[in-house]
Amino acid sequence: MSKINKAIYEIQKIDSMSKEDKWVNNIHPLIKLFLTVYYIFLIVSFHKYDMAGLFGMCIYPIFVFVLGDLSFRDALYRLRVVLPIVSIMGIFNPFFDHTVVNHIGDVAVWGGVISMFTLMIKGIFTVLASYLLIATTSIEEICYALRLIHIPKIMVTQLLLIYRYITVLMAETKRITQAYSLRAPGQKGIHISAWGPLVGQMLLRSMDRADDIYESMCIRGFNGEFPRMTKKRKNKGDLIYLLVWFFVLFAFRLYPVFEIVGGLFV
Amino acid sequence: MSHIHINVENLNFSYEKNQPILKDISFTAHENDAIGIVGANGVGKSTLLKLLVGLDLRFEGSIRVEEIPLSQETLGKVREKIGYVFQDSDSQLFMTTVEEDVAFAPRNYGLPEEEVQRRVDEALEKVHISHLRKKPIYKMSGGEKKLASIATILSMTPDVILMDEPSVALDPRNRRNLIYVLNEFEHLKMIASHDLDFIMDTCNRVILMDEGSIIADGDAKEILTDKELLEAHGLELPLSLYNE
Repeated sequence: MSKINKAIYEIQKIDSMSKEDKWVNNIHPLIKLFLTVYYIFLIVSFHKYDMAGLFGMCIYPIFVFVLGDLSFRDALYRLRVVLPIVSIMGIFNPFFDHTVVNHIGDVAVWGGVISMFTLMIKGIFTVLASYLLIATTSIEEICYALRLIHIPKIMVTQLLLIYRYITVLMAETKRITQAYSLRAPGQKGIHISAWGPLVGQMLLRSMDRADDIYESMCIRGFNGEFPRMTKKRKNKGDLIYLLVWFFVLFAFRLYPVFEIVGGLFV
Repeated sequence: MSHIHINVENLNFSYEKNQPILKDISFTAHENDAIGIVGANGVGKSTLLKLLVGLDLRFEGSIRVEEIPLSQETLGKVREKIGYVFQDSDSQLFMTTVEEDVAFAPRNYGLPEEEVQRRVDEALEKVHISHLRKKPIYKMSGGEKKLASIATILSMTPDVILMDEPSVALDPRNRRNLIYVLNEFEHLKMIASHDLDFIMDTCNRVILMDEGSIIADGDAKEILTDKELLEAHGLELPLSLYNE
């Protein structure tokens, strides 16, 4: 399978995962969206040296992975490009922050090292939370939730269409590169002299195709609203889920729960 | 049965100034008509169909669907009645699986989920692709995609079907199947194609176009057997007539 085919397959896989009939998938999208934003907000609010407290926040992704019957291995595979990038964000901190915040034996631990790890963990948790949202909520449901909180229709439609066009763009790229490789046998990659016309063609074709898809959606009743979801109501279970997580995450933010629990055994 | 009809009067259209694509097109399509729009490549067949479904409103003249004039305000109403099948199925199918795509329109029209499922079942059954229900679109062959595209509009239970080159990419069996499906569809249908054999098998009326104008409008058999007329406008007799 070519790289582009693999990428299309991965997108389709996440899309079909989000439409499975599981308990987590059936929670109202607005609640999942709110919890994700709330979780990210709490994660970001941790102090740069508060690594112990931050570890406690792993409870949310672990819980959703288990409850949603999602594969952690698959998630790591899918996020293999993003995770290293978010992980190296704080890589220069040890060079700038030499504040001694702790000692391991006789070795002083610099604040820069701690903040580097804190930043890495923050990045990883944030990306995981976003992944869990899209793995359990379809793009239409996310857009519907955004409309419920009065995000302008034009922005929500843009989001939906960008998502739809990703595969269109990839499919066009695949066609063009295939056509190129068939007439450039034995050549590895695409010669630099062909980059300009190829990218130009890809852009023009994708725009045409995107136009057609939008037209196809419009003539089948799409007007930027999501009538199917209007029948989706928040039930008692959804609200309990929201409240429980709201207070649990808040408690984990305020107190280093793992540290406290660990202290009980020392 | 619906009593829908389409009335087109003095329709003119161009993408750029002084380069008219459609010139003074007028006709009325009645509820039981099966109209083949034929002509060589680039005569404006696809453009005409696109205008009928309101994909471009920069035209002069008038298009009325069941007495509703086609305009920005009436687009929603008109499109509920008309199903349009694109020439290129990749332009029509955008959801993950066949089932999702076929359900797109009924869901958009706010139908209850049971009704959506019933319509999806029925549409897939009609084009004989129930077994492809869960198949990802990107893994489908050209012919399968074409049939899925048709199912996506059948699930809208439209009063009118407009099709742009529906027989392209179909193998003989699927082609026969499509002819059967179209002949079973009792409402108004308009098919743009240069596959004259397909038009002969599915249409009772033909509109022959050349250079953006209507050259002839009448009985399908009469026009499609008129060798001189066809050849004068860049077409040839249907292959089946050559064999006779």
